[in-house]
Amino acid sequence: MSSQLSRRDLFRLGGIGIISTTLLAACSKNNGTSDNAIASIGTIPPNTSLPTAEVTDVVLLRTAASLEYAAIDLYSTLLDAGYLSGDFAAVAAIARRFRDDHAAHAASSNSLVLKLGGQAFECANSRFTSLAITPAIALISTPENPDVALDAVTLAHAIETVCAQMQQGFVGLYSDPVLRGAAINVGQNNARHAVILAQMLNPGLSGVEPSTEPATGVSKVFAVPSAFGGLAIVRVPLGPPNAEGVKTSITMETPSLNALTYEFVSC
Amino acid sequence: MTPPKQPTEADLVILNEAQGAELAVRDLYDAALLVGGFSDVQTSVLISFRNHHTAYAQALNGVLGKSAVNMRSETVYSAYRDQVRASTTALKTLQSLENVLVATHTAIVGLLVGLDAANLMASILIVEARLAAVYGTAPELDLASALDDSAVSLVVASSVEG
Repeated sequence: MSSQLSRRDLFRLGGIGIISTTLLAACSKNNGTSDNAIASIGTIPPNTSLPTAEVTDVVLLRTAASLEYAAIDLYSTLLDAGYLSGDFAAVAAIARRFRDDHAAHAASSNSLVLKLGGQAFECANSRFTSLAITPAIALISTPENPDVALDAVTLAHAIETVCAQMQQGFVGLYSDPVLRGAAINVGQNNARHAVILAQMLNPGLSGVEPSTEPATGVSKVFAVPSAFGGLAIVRVPLGPPNAEGVKTSITMETPSLNALTYEFVSC
Repeated sequence: MTPPKQPTEADLVILNEAQGAELAVRDLYDAALLVGGFSDVQTSVLISFRNHHTAYAQALNGVLGKSAVNMRSETVYSAYRDQVRASTTALKTLQSLENVLVATHTAIVGLLVGLDAANLMASILIVEARLAAVYGTAPELDLASALDDSAVSLVVASSVEG
């Protein structure tokens, strides 16, 4: 018997194969899926849709409050740990005053939240804290750090700068002019805090405008960075310096879409 | 509703007031510098602050366009002229002027409908607050004054409503 298949046999077998597959598919159990469903093995978990994340005036106000709480917590940490000491012992009293100011700012933002029918937010912005404050405190508290007090004041200056920038930046986002006025009123107060701390770090009129360290060329902290308020990222050198004398730089920026305190966020 | 970017007609009125105040303060810095009596570093800082106010008036020109009056406020200028010319009160008066500008511009931000102008005013006043605070850190003045933001706005409701 010849085992060779003719061309006609091949076509016939192919046709039988296609018909069988179609019949099997038609007779198979549907498993309750729609006709358009892609066949799969196992159970597909249902899709969990994300909550609606709309940037409203309430969200911006809650975010503003959350950053003010971050500042409150930072001052409490610096004071409780006794970091404001030595050459910067005088800053401790200033820090207490600034902490009170931030509490008033947060209360002001939250009162506006309540007026708009939102829910007050009374704790620190978790994303800002985890990305900026926690690593900053870790650097400051490193046992090898020779500049604990200096770094503590530098960090306080940075958060004041960011708080001022945030309020300035939110002016362009609020829908209601009254909220813009309220925001910038808080922002200007934070900017004053930044000046006082800048003068603690780089005292005198020579510390008012941008300048650099003559030895290293590194930019100093100064009271008036530019003629117009900027919204640039703030870099904070902290912790023990490396062999070249350079400290680790922590980056701080005003809360963006992924750090806003949306209405579904709770403390 | 999304706020407009451009200033409204009512915005233009108050922005002209802001510009008039900035030009008056610039001229008051000039008056103080003309009398002199400051150290070299003080003079340098005062010139820099004066130039900031020139920049603010120019920036407001950009927003105001053809509506810009470009004239200093004589009310502000005459109210403070004698005080900035006296060496004993010059720095304190200049600090007060910065605080008045902060209060005025804050009130203006709370009134402006157009977003571009609101953003500009915010970026101006936040630095003017810094300038006011710098005076407070000077040995001649007291630190508490750096945080004193209780100045009264020059903008009154009637001028806005008109």
